[in-house]
Amino acid sequence: MPDFETDFWKDAALRKSWDDLVPGAPRPTLPYVLTLEAIQAYCRSVGDLHPLYFDEAYAKKSRYGGLIAPPAIHILLMFACTPPDDWMRSPGTINAGQSWSYNIPARPGDTITLQARCLDKFIRKSRLFAVHDNVFFNQRGEVICSGRGQTIRPQ
Amino acid sequence: MTKCFEDIAVGQEITGRAFAVTKETVREFCDASLDYNPLHLDDGYMQGSFGKTQFGGVIMHGMTNFGLLTAMLTDWAYAHDGQHRRLETRWRAPVKPGDTITPSARITRIEGTLKARWVLLDVEMRNARGDLIATGEAMVEF
Repeated sequence: MPDFETDFWKDAALRKSWDDLVPGAPRPTLPYVLTLEAIQAYCRSVGDLHPLYFDEAYAKKSRYGGLIAPPAIHILLMFACTPPDDWMRSPGTINAGQSWSYNIPARPGDTITLQARCLDKFIRKSRLFAVHDNVFFNQRGEVICSGRGQTIRPQ
Repeated sequence: MTKCFEDIAVGQEITGRAFAVTKETVREFCDASLDYNPLHLDDGYMQGSFGKTQFGGVIMHGMTNFGLLTAMLTDWAYAHDGQHRRLETRWRAPVKPGDTITPSARITRIEGTLKARWVLLDVEMRNARGDLIATGEAMVEF
């Protein structure tokens, strides 16, 4: 993503603190065109070279009928589909756990959209937790995957 | 070669690929995931205190665990002509450059619903010292 801001400090002052989060309020999101290059870069970063992601002839003969993205591509989509001031980019955000359900695979060339919100927030052992709730769709409005995560917010 | 659903039994264990974590693999994951949180890039920042926690240096993304667990599950599901449907994880300890981590799973239940058969698995990630890094549960549909 050529214009992606990699300095997460740059917009830090614009991001919502834990106090500002309103459970239930939608997070602004952006559509994102998922390329084969981005899929394969993600796959290489976790050492996953399965031919469904790299070998078009193999993938065509599979039940999927063509190249797909691995289920966990939502790791990339979470940042690709959110603007620079999204609170998930706050420096010091610590991931505490995740749960994701998978419906159909994302594919190269898909235009991905995200519906997301902070669903809940709470304090446990002096740590500030936020629960985020996310659903990713393709350009036909089909659900690709849905999931929740818990992060510990920086003070 | 595709294996049969009938070959699957409760108690069977699956081991994924070992993954050697370096600052370079963490940086590559930043570029691949677009997650450039300084937790993963800035040793100076990581000398600070995070509430009760001190890391002392950069840590691997928690979601790298998630990606490695997923690769183990999809390798197994594709080989059995099943579909990976769900993964839930909790992080137990941070991973630092120099660590080698290995995912594994154990089949805990095989369930039938009106329209499908489901294999339920417990998953975990451990480092080379045997420390528990992540735990969770997964579901594969047949």
